[in-house]
Amino acid sequence: MVATVRGVLRDVLGISETRVAAFTDATELFGALPEFDSMAVAGVLTELEDRLGILIDDDDVDGEMLATFGALTRFAAARVSG
Amino acid sequence: MIDHYDWAGGREAMVRFPPAQPGSDAHQVVVLPALFEEHNRTRSFTVAICRGLAALGIGAMLPDLPGQNESQTATEQATLEHWRGAVSDLVVAQSSRHPVHIASIRGGAVIDGVDGSASVWRLAPLTGRAVLRDLERTALIGNKASQAADSVAGPVVLAGNSIGAALHAGLLGDVALPTPAAPVRTVRLEGDVGAADLRLPGAPMWRHSEPGNDETLAQLIAADIAVWIARCGG
Repeated sequence: MVATVRGVLRDVLGISETRVAAFTDATELFGALPEFDSMAVAGVLTELEDRLGILIDDDDVDGEMLATFGALTRFAAARVSG
Repeated sequence: MIDHYDWAGGREAMVRFPPAQPGSDAHQVVVLPALFEEHNRTRSFTVAICRGLAALGIGAMLPDLPGQNESQTATEQATLEHWRGAVSDLVVAQSSRHPVHIASIRGGAVIDGVDGSASVWRLAPLTGRAVLRDLERTALIGNKASQAADSVAGPVVLAGNSIGAALHAGLLGDVALPTPAAPVRTVRLEGDVGAADLRLPGAPMWRHSEPGNDETLAQLIAADIAVWIARCGG
């Protein structure tokens, strides 16, 4: 799961493998990562859906689940197991 | 080379990429680009694929769809029926000399099921409804007006794209990929869990914020299309 989320951020945001490999649970994303703007959010979510075979309800998308790498990974993991 | 094609509703521009070896245009392919925002993001990439095909001896045609690009048809007047009709008329007209194959990119698959093509090759295809959902999500998250209604009367503007009511309804109702009579090959990128005949390495540039290109991936794709077309013959 963590590897998939890393791969999505790398491929959609165009972040280098080295940079994305250094992401931890606490790494801040939306609002902190310049590449992760509002246009990119839709791409990240849709790509997560495609790679994990899940559906994300737009109503569930908020600043909190996009705030950190850990939060985004937990959000995606919950959709897979749910 | 800028050319044109005629369809029942008028005349549209298309870019033609003649095969590298003159006279060897026995194989030709109509390339249907991605739709809306993804079209912009993959413009260079799509042209790179066409050039790659031409270098391999396959004539490529990249048509404008009614209401898109240089078309005289107003964007909000376009419908899925117009698009399919235009592709069909192009395929039929070009088939008089040699068989025509279709290669569709992303949402181009929505209109690739027309009769008359010798084969259909798809890159990471998606349904019209999924195309619409992507646009709506971008618009929603971009804090623009929420227009994700199931039915609309006038044109909807989603993430900068003016979509007429008929096209909106057509996309919303398009919940399965076309099943053409011709053989179909589906190629996706590694990591995409959808059904595929082949997975190629590369990043989905249609999701990037800025338009880009991936020359390596474009050449892998051109090579795969070339082998596929040779196998299908026609």
